[in-house]
Amino acid sequence: MSQISALANVHTTGQFGDYGGKNENDLLKISENKNLLIVQIVQYKDSKTLFENINIDGLKLKNEALSVVCNNDTRILWNAPNNWLLVSKKLSLMKNILDEFKDTDFAVTDLSHSRAIIEIEGKDVKEVLKKGCPFNFDILEKNNSVNSTYNGIAFTVDMLDDNPNKVRLFSLRSFGESLYHSITDASLEFGFKSI
Amino acid sequence: MLYIKCPHCGMRPQIEFSYGGDATVKRPELNKEISDQEWDDFVYNRKSLRGKHLELWQHLSGCRQWIKVERDTATHEIFKTFKANEEVA
Repeated sequence: MSQISALANVHTTGQFGDYGGKNENDLLKISENKNLLIVQIVQYKDSKTLFENINIDGLKLKNEALSVVCNNDTRILWNAPNNWLLVSKKLSLMKNILDEFKDTDFAVTDLSHSRAIIEIEGKDVKEVLKKGCPFNFDILEKNNSVNSTYNGIAFTVDMLDDNPNKVRLFSLRSFGESLYHSITDASLEFGFKSI
Repeated sequence: MLYIKCPHCGMRPQIEFSYGGDATVKRPELNKEISDQEWDDFVYNRKSLRGKHLELWQHLSGCRQWIKVERDTATHEIFKTFKANEEVA
């Protein structure tokens, strides 16, 4: 099932900002990703189940700040103690998740339709993020994630790659357009290609 | 900007946090007779200390956990942070 775009009203393709005279490969690339399964998994406080024994798409949960465990299709982001955000290209994974995480021990919530997802790629990605968020992005490495705010908008950053830098930003769907405006405004000085 | 070390996430800017009041206030024990004055003290009355103070903060835009922060109310220096369930000596 194809999901309805959260950014359809604002995301237009083309080149914007200070792109003149620059190699197209050096520009930031901004895109929307809308066909992902997003599931929040929270272990109840009184649960005795060992989450380390649970296997989802070959991945095991890790209770460590900033950590992301991943394979080519699925990424599991640490949100908080005993709280994770699973993001996957495999939309059929939901059944497997519900089978593995028993509802007596875990709260599993499908958030796929309630998030806007923006992906940015390019060497100036961290500079764009620093403009609206006081987190020290220099410590953020490949396969790290962080929850913070960008110009007051709560968002999650998932560092997909570091050569070149590529991040995936999640925000509440209703804040998606505001976040998109903030990100694209901050990207103007570097020049960006919207794809 | 003030930076607070969340015991779960690490060093984070203060704008990710929300202040939650005095962390030393104890709720009166359940099923125990208490006076109006004691109840008033628990709900409303607070000291406005100048100096080292133990406070509750919530990491609202991060891990959403409540934490305790030992902070100087005059200088804003933060000495130590604790998990909410940690006992402070």
